[in-house]
Amino acid sequence: MNEGKRPGGLTALAVLNFIFSGWGLLGIMGMITMIVVFGKLAENMDEQARTQLEAIQAIGRPMLICLLAVSAVSSILLLISGIGYIKQKKFMGRTLGNAYAVLAIIIGIVSAVMMKPEIGGGFTIGAIIGFIYPVLTLILLNTTFKEDLTN
Amino acid sequence: MSLRDVSASHIRLISFYRTRYTLRGGAGLVFLMITLVFGLTVAQAVLAPIEQVMAQQAKAGQEPDPKEVVAEIVKRGRPVIQWALGIESDENSPASSDPWTTFLLDDRPALLSVIFLILLFGMPLLISFLAFNQIAGDVQNRGLRYLLLRTERANIFIGRFLGTAFFSTLVIAIIIATITFYLGVNIKIYSAGPLVAWALHGFLALSVLMLPYIAICSWISASVGSAFVSLVLAKVVIGGVWLFALLGSLVWKPAIYLNYALPWGLQNHLLHPKLTYSLGTALACLGYMLVFLFLGYYRFETRDL
Repeated sequence: MNEGKRPGGLTALAVLNFIFSGWGLLGIMGMITMIVVFGKLAENMDEQARTQLEAIQAIGRPMLICLLAVSAVSSILLLISGIGYIKQKKFMGRTLGNAYAVLAIIIGIVSAVMMKPEIGGGFTIGAIIGFIYPVLTLILLNTTFKEDLTN
Repeated sequence: MSLRDVSASHIRLISFYRTRYTLRGGAGLVFLMITLVFGLTVAQAVLAPIEQVMAQQAKAGQEPDPKEVVAEIVKRGRPVIQWALGIESDENSPASSDPWTTFLLDDRPALLSVIFLILLFGMPLLISFLAFNQIAGDVQNRGLRYLLLRTERANIFIGRFLGTAFFSTLVIAIIIATITFYLGVNIKIYSAGPLVAWALHGFLALSVLMLPYIAICSWISASVGSAFVSLVLAKVVIGGVWLFALLGSLVWKPAIYLNYALPWGLQNHLLHPKLTYSLGTALACLGYMLVFLFLGYYRFETRDL
């Protein structure tokens, strides 16, 4: 299938990938800033911010680094697979898109289990919202757009 | 060519492909994403305060009592619900004496009622993302000419409307099912029977409400030759009627009746305690739908493609 016949839905999916990728990377930078900078200013924080910081610190440094690294990989996968959708590439689009979706679902489950509710852990509506895009990606790539990513 | 040429098998085929193409075409995907995020964010906004208070109670060593927390929040939110329903509050009588508010907040699962009221307001503003391109895009790229060799305009118009309505109903079902499941499993203050029954009522109310708005999008889409113009017009008409009525009523009270140009003025009655009111409103929605569909079909049938 050539690039000229790319369905509008695939383009929309690619644009969403770019948006969520940028969003994810910004979130990771924000998290790192919160740990590095705000950790030194903990005494001057209000109670809510301090509770959040404590909740982040409670995860433990190795686990936190691991979660941040996996989240960064997930955001990069989003970016690359978005380019893959545009070019209708099988590996770059479909394979990496599926890899992102599976990884994001795993991250979502691990975060829900390990994190405290103050920083988005637990079984909440927020956690369900986080699953929408990965699940949708997984379904669409393997049904609706399966035949469009063959280059 | 007229309505006499309508073929059930053609309509079925066209609506089936419309539902399938909606996702491939992009509009359905965008609608699905926006609507799911909107619906669940509304639920989160309503439920998060309750969960936070319960978490604080647990942290303070108390046994969290969700029923008590919800009762307190409902008590504080009652005037807001009355305002949303357009009920004038009377200082002489207690707020809880209003039967409609009492029905929504006391007789039915209050949290679900609040979520439904917000969805009833928000969904009409989102539906045009799905319904704007029923005809206009194909007119723009002249693709409709090839389809017209095989079937009549009436079949295309009705088939695409039904396909769009089916997709919208499916998305609403996913949202309501997710929220109801979450309420039942996580908040645990309502028993399953009343929760599911009220969820079903809300689902039907939202599904019926979407029909006239999809129909007006069909009319607009059949009248213009550009998908983008169709989207902008649908947004302006649906949102504009409500906004114009609201702002207009500030300077000239009767301007509020402009809301009745679309179902804005009566759609909350889909959740009315009296069955005659809610059924009547549903019939009125179907009436709006038929009028808009007729106007759209007439325009589509008579225009030069």
